[in-house]
Amino acid sequence: MTNELTALSNELAGAVEQAGRTVVAVHARPRFSSSGVFWRPGVIVTAEHTVRREEEITVTLPDGKNASATLAGTDSGTDLAVLKAEWTGPVNARSAADPVPGNLALCIGRSEDSGVNATMGIISAVSGAWRTWRGGRLDHYIRLDLTLYPGSSGGAVINTSGEILGVATSALSRIAGVAIPGATIDRVVDEILARGHVTRGYLGVGLQPVELPDHHKGLIVLTLERDGPAAKSGVLIGDILVVLGGNAVSDTEDIQLALEKHPVGQTVEAEVLRGGVSRKIAVAVGERPRRN
Amino acid sequence: MRGFGEIAERLRRSTVQVFGSRRQRGGGSGVIWGSDGLVVTNAHVARSDQAEVELWDGRRFPARISARDPRRDLAVLRIAASGLEPAPPGDSDRLRPGELVIAIGNPLGFAGALSNGVIHSIGKLPGMGNQSWIRAAVQLAPGNSGGPLANAQGQLVGINTAIVNGLGVAVPGNAAVEFLRWGPRPSLGVVLRPVSQGLLLLEVDPNGAAASASLRAGDILLSSFDDLNDALDSGREVLRLQFVRGWPESGRARIREVFVRLKARAEAA
Repeated sequence: MTNELTALSNELAGAVEQAGRTVVAVHARPRFSSSGVFWRPGVIVTAEHTVRREEEITVTLPDGKNASATLAGTDSGTDLAVLKAEWTGPVNARSAADPVPGNLALCIGRSEDSGVNATMGIISAVSGAWRTWRGGRLDHYIRLDLTLYPGSSGGAVINTSGEILGVATSALSRIAGVAIPGATIDRVVDEILARGHVTRGYLGVGLQPVELPDHHKGLIVLTLERDGPAAKSGVLIGDILVVLGGNAVSDTEDIQLALEKHPVGQTVEAEVLRGGVSRKIAVAVGERPRRN
Repeated sequence: MRGFGEIAERLRRSTVQVFGSRRQRGGGSGVIWGSDGLVVTNAHVARSDQAEVELWDGRRFPARISARDPRRDLAVLRIAASGLEPAPPGDSDRLRPGELVIAIGNPLGFAGALSNGVIHSIGKLPGMGNQSWIRAAVQLAPGNSGGPLANAQGQLVGINTAIVNGLGVAVPGNAAVEFLRWGPRPSLGVVLRPVSQGLLLLEVDPNGAAASASLRAGDILLSSFDDLNDALDSGREVLRLQFVRGWPESGRARIREVFVRLKARAEAA
């Protein structure tokens, strides 16, 4: 009974085999291992939430051998961690086309005991840039309708041709697995390899959106970090921030977008209302303190 | 695509319900292996000596359990029926992760239910010895146990056995072939529980190899589960086991030794 079903089944298994050559098991937490993908020669990306220690990390390579890996850096905002390990095998083939809702997708992982593993489902939603609850920005929001089992996080999300769409994580959404898109991974890997972490702009203020009498909106400064970037530039508690970097701001997302355009160390111009009078203040963008 | 419906319809005719001696609700599933009444199921589905089998067309037959292998969780049943439709056999050694698979069974007593998905992985399970298991990303429920897992061609590649972390776990079809040809693998005839010192014997089958070597419930074998499994599969007829009887509150326990003669394998079917 050779039919379309057998052909599809063979195609899926072939895609898994191809992508599996770049997928590793990552041993960086107790009990369950997680998965990772060779993104560049010697460079593995995995899900940050599965990396629970900074030393004595090992990976099970696509050839089944174990090797030690070093942690190059992490970015909890996008749930990405970058590891380095010696490996001369292939790196993943990227999909040229963006995924479309309804496309079949597979998540490829690896475990030490049973080698490559696969689950299948569909891409259930795709949208533009998306801010994660951890503060990072993904270039696309790619929601997966497939089951992520323990150990799947950090694995490769591929299409039926075996081309990679992104890296799977269960930690960025409560309702579904998410694929961290390739463009985001490129950006984060570049920054981690250059600096060891991803820097984020920081003003050192606590803000609350308020409505102004002229029906415009602004953000009132409720707390001010002592000697923080804003305090040093002369911002006071009670100032109402209305423009940052030339754009009107009405909520904290606007602030984060403005700071993404102004790297750490650069000066950004802020317009505040103080006692009803507008004044401009130049703030040197600081670096957001990192947890741990 | 005409595939799955056709495969499911054929496979349903090769799938049976298995009930224990006391009519449990639900029960398990089984696969017709031979047209003359040979049925394969899980050992944990066929616990007692007597069972009852219901075919897809509703006919019921008393079944005799002709062989069990608790370590592989397989059992062979015989029913007095003929002209049955056995499931076409596939080669489980050639399975690859990502292949489409279909499971048929009687989950929660619902007869002939179909679920499909893909092969997740094939290999060892932690703490389950050196034997290979199939893990499939298919939705199973209690009652699927003993039923068939088939590939995209409708060929039997596994016997659905357990659910671990949401994944279906199946005994590879080739292990069932081996069981039917060579019979159950050597066993001690005991129920074990791992403890910090070794393996505690919870039950000892009076007809088993351990009982013949005068091991008793409560003894602790000084071995790991994997080492014991390896020793049983080594092909040796006699195993030398170290054990402790009565762990003292203080002081050192006396380590005893026993020689266990394993039963030779006999054909299961």
